[in-house]
Amino acid sequence: MNAMTAKLVVEGLCHHYPDEYTGESVHALEDINLELYEGELVSVVGPSGCGKSTLLNILAGLLPYKVGKASVDGKVIEGPGPDRGVVFQEHAILPWRTVSRNIGHGLEIRGLPKEEISRRVQEYVDLVGLSGFEDKYPHELSGGMKQRCAVARTLCADPIVMLMDEPFAAVDAQTRITLQEELNRIALATKKTILFITHSVDEAAFLADRCLVFSARPGRLKQIVTVDIPREKRIWENMNADAEFIRCRDEILRLVREEVSVAIEE
Amino acid sequence: MQSKSKGPSLAWRFQRLLQIDAMNLVILIIGVYIVWSIISALIDNPARYLPSPIAVALSSVDMLYKGLLPSYFGDTLMRLISGSIIGLAVGIPFGLVLGINRTVADMFHPIMNFFQSVSGIAIFPIVVIWWGNSDKTIFAVILYTAFFPIAFNVLSGVREIPIRYISAARTLGASRFQVIKDVLLPGAMPHIATGSRLSIGFAWRAVIAGEMLAGQQGLGWMIFTGQDADRTAEVVLGMMLIGVTWIILDHYLLRPFEADTIERWGLVQR
Repeated sequence: MNAMTAKLVVEGLCHHYPDEYTGESVHALEDINLELYEGELVSVVGPSGCGKSTLLNILAGLLPYKVGKASVDGKVIEGPGPDRGVVFQEHAILPWRTVSRNIGHGLEIRGLPKEEISRRVQEYVDLVGLSGFEDKYPHELSGGMKQRCAVARTLCADPIVMLMDEPFAAVDAQTRITLQEELNRIALATKKTILFITHSVDEAAFLADRCLVFSARPGRLKQIVTVDIPREKRIWENMNADAEFIRCRDEILRLVREEVSVAIEE
Repeated sequence: MQSKSKGPSLAWRFQRLLQIDAMNLVILIIGVYIVWSIISALIDNPARYLPSPIAVALSSVDMLYKGLLPSYFGDTLMRLISGSIIGLAVGIPFGLVLGINRTVADMFHPIMNFFQSVSGIAIFPIVVIWWGNSDKTIFAVILYTAFFPIAFNVLSGVREIPIRYISAARTLGASRFQVIKDVLLPGAMPHIATGSRLSIGFAWRAVIAGEMLAGQQGLGWMIFTGQDADRTAEVVLGMMLIGVTWIILDHYLLRPFEADTIERWGLVQR
């Protein structure tokens, strides 16, 4: 890891926000420090309300922060930008654009020539397995296909870091497993640097090179679990017999449950 | 999830609409004709209270021959078209501009809702006080009537666009202008379609009312003077023209546009 360069760096990040109903200040994040190295997939798990989505929104530039520092490729994050692509939880592809026009949106915004856009769109349509659906509108797609389209849209804009906010939480269990395997394949093929937020321990262990376990509110980095399984070997069929996967998953599960019980006792 | 074709084309649907309509229309016209003829035959003094369909048809021939009908109809239609086009052309950007900023949108929403509910007829007296019984007065009332429903709908449409669509575009690097062009405007399209239909529908009523009150020719003028001059056939003829014109306009122009937008946006699935 040391030989690699850190693409995303977060130092001493704290965040408070006023509660929507009571107006009381909520302490969401406390002294977050993390580094994402080039080509690495890092997952973030933690109990509900641990601030993992808040962290993602700050990194996406959608939520302003005051305390601490976050930067991508040495550039301090001050707002949304194409250097950070985001895959949202659900229904964030534009319903009035076809699959290919959604996927090419980032390049269109950048003002690339049409031929260049359609060439690159086709590449990502194929990568996520949406061939034959290029001219469909989102309402004609299944939940899993919508998320594939969302992933392709983000990848096609070629961000330095891809931020994923529980992207597979809203699809059915079967589809979720397929999408996880596909993301693994995509991570292997594209060598993208990915931050993956999830509340699913299995998902976090399956996808991550490193898994960051967050504590209950205020969110702190509780522990880092390194998952040492080559991407080529990550297929769900094999995982149930994979000693490393089981060890990591159980470790993450234990850490998360400690936090859940803390949250309940409070 | 199997791949299905892009869905029926607009032309195809238009054709089907015509076919089904043709059948229903024939039945409807015959039915109305029979009931109307019977009632007209049963009452005393039908020429004053309810002339028969034939009498109305004859009066239309008479008015066509004199050139009054095309002239009145043309006046009314021109007022509707110019008033609606200008109303929409001003109302859409206005609603959009108000809708862009959420704070401004929330502030203006009740005001716009207020004006959209005060009908053109209700503002007629004040406009007459300003400009008298003139073409200007009629035009002002039509413009007012067309403007608020569309502006209000566009404003609502922009406000209702999920923030995640805007966030998604911003994280793809969209500028403020690109967010408006790629998210807010297309996102408000179903509301723009609905609002346009409402605006034109209200404007149509306002044109007729305006012509009756301000007396500057047109279909409204025709039915108003028809009553004064005891020419009931002309009154009925005018009413029929008003209704039929709207049905044609709505059915073959406004509704398909609205339905197509809403369907493409995936709000309704066939």
